Amino acid sequence: MECDGMDALPDGVVQTILSQLSNARDVAACSGVSRCWRDCVPFLPALYFPRSAFDAAGGADDAIGRMVEAAARLEELVIYCPFSSARLPRWLAMRSASLRVLELRVDSAADKAAAAASGAGSAHLDCIGVVSTLQELRLWGLTMTRAPSWGQMQRLRVLEIVGAHLEDLAVSGAVHACPNLTDLALLGCECAGAVSFTLPLLERCRLDFVGSGSCALTLTAPQVESLEVQGFNWIVLQGGDRLKRLTIAKNTGSVYSVGIERLPVLEQLSLRGVQWSWGAVSYLLQCAAEVRHLVMKVEFCGDFDTLQPFPEVDLVEFFNTHPKLRRFEIHGAMFAALCQKNSLKNLDSRFSISSLEEVLITVRSPLNAEQKLITLESLVCCSPRLLSMVIRISQMKNCHEASDEFFEEICKFAHVNKGRVRIE
Amino acid sequence: MAATTADGNKVDEAVGGEKSKMITLKSSDSEQFEMTREAAVMSQTIQHMIEDDCVDSGVPLPNVGSKILAMVIEYRNRHVDASSDSAGEKEDLKSFDESFVKVDQPTLFDIILAANYLDIKGLLDLSCQTVADMIKGKSVEEIRKTFNIKNDYTPDEEEEIPRENQWAFE
Repeated sequence: MECDGMDALPDGVVQTILSQLSNARDVAACSGVSRCWRDCVPFLPALYFPRSAFDAAGGADDAIGRMVEAAARLEELVIYCPFSSARLPRWLAMRSASLRVLELRVDSAADKAAAAASGAGSAHLDCIGVVSTLQELRLWGLTMTRAPSWGQMQRLRVLEIVGAHLEDLAVSGAVHACPNLTDLALLGCECAGAVSFTLPLLERCRLDFVGSGSCALTLTAPQVESLEVQGFNWIVLQGGDRLKRLTIAKNTGSVYSVGIERLPVLEQLSLRGVQWSWGAVSYLLQCAAEVRHLVMKVEFCGDFDTLQPFPEVDLVEFFNTHPKLRRFEIHGAMFAALCQKNSLKNLDSRFSISSLEEVLITVRSPLNAEQKLITLESLVCCSPRLLSMVIRISQMKNCHEASDEFFEEICKFAHVNKGRVRIE
Repeated sequence: MAATTADGNKVDEAVGGEKSKMITLKSSDSEQFEMTREAAVMSQTIQHMIEDDCVDSGVPLPNVGSKILAMVIEYRNRHVDASSDSAGEKEDLKSFDESFVKVDQPTLFDIILAANYLDIKGLLDLSCQTVADMIKGKSVEEIRKTFNIKNDYTPDEEEEIPRENQWAFE
């Protein structure tokens, strides 16, 4: 069939082509090309307003309002450029029957000043509740001092809030209004106090709380498969039965307690932080009997302000209670704990670490050098499946002869086991 | 049809031999192309014709020329084979798709029309996305020039537009 170019394409096909565009600039340009193209605009499913869209010309609010009004079947709306939150209710009301995905950058300076003046830090978010069809909501840079009045966002499955200032009760209330979430992410959020989330359908959860206050988390999520949290001193999880991947980190301060009933299917566990209560560490290690990939990057333990090294860990018992361990990353205090006087007391010729394939160890101090080397050798000898052991030599704390000697010993060890052991 | 268990092939035919049956497609310029039934039904249009039982003497496609039909068949064969989930195969398929649409504009539009007529979603999405990518970032004039589109606005209407969308032309 001979084609006379774009003009000869049926309208439905032009619609399909233009539906692949979402950048508001491109859509505006297309409206100006010809009548036929302009008539396709009502069928476009997505509009995206980039950060700098109106930097040169201004007129953001009017242009956004016009384009949202023209896109009668709009399903996705993403606004990164500054806009007046006072206009938001009207835009959302226009598309409340079709909108599925909404992403807003709400940190424009004008709004913050107005919000501070009126004392209502979340009023402009209330209008989101009118979009009953909404499935995904992403908000950047907001301040939430009280829970928004959303009613019940039954259809919402994905909620992401990034770079926000949240009051603990406000964010708990906001999540409470979204009972059917499968994905929850609160990242780079300043929040202190106690937050509590009950989400029966939650599958994936990432919480990254920054700021200086103490923070407690209670999460009830019986279906959760992947959980990553940073920034909480106390954690209670009800529902670890389906959990496969768990990361608990605390970049500053301490982890005092972690309450989890059981982790029967946990495959990956990562513990990170400056100071953890030893009770919390050992309890988690006990729960994670089926774990295949374990990362331990905790510097100290201790229940109070005093930083303490880990107590001794029996190597044989450790590997016998984690028989499926394939990848093991040890930074910080854990390696030292495995290298204590009595750590290897149960080692005998029958002992075998049958699943271990990859080990990554960070060695920092030459203290107890002999014991450390014995532990390294034992790991290699007792692991028939070992494919690679990487030893990272981090800055030695005491820079004197002992360090050099130790380093040499490690090099010798690596050389003897060339092919399986290497130094970074 | 009598089913014979002794000969596996015969049993296949008796139950309709889904995969192995070959379908003949006839282009607008009367060239014939054979393809497996499995690949052929990636086109909803052909699938409906098969279900309506009018394909015994071949499927006539008066809207699709032989050059384009050959390309469409190549696309379908490639995609029907790639049923594995391996990352390597996905990469290969992606490269294939990318080169597939590196053609001149008339051919691209012919592929779009054929994919539309034959109702092959994957190919329609791929080819339309390619055209959309050619539109991105262009001004009104540039778009018209690239695709040779006739401007059917009246002079009055033309004046209105830039004022409304001034921001997009900065």
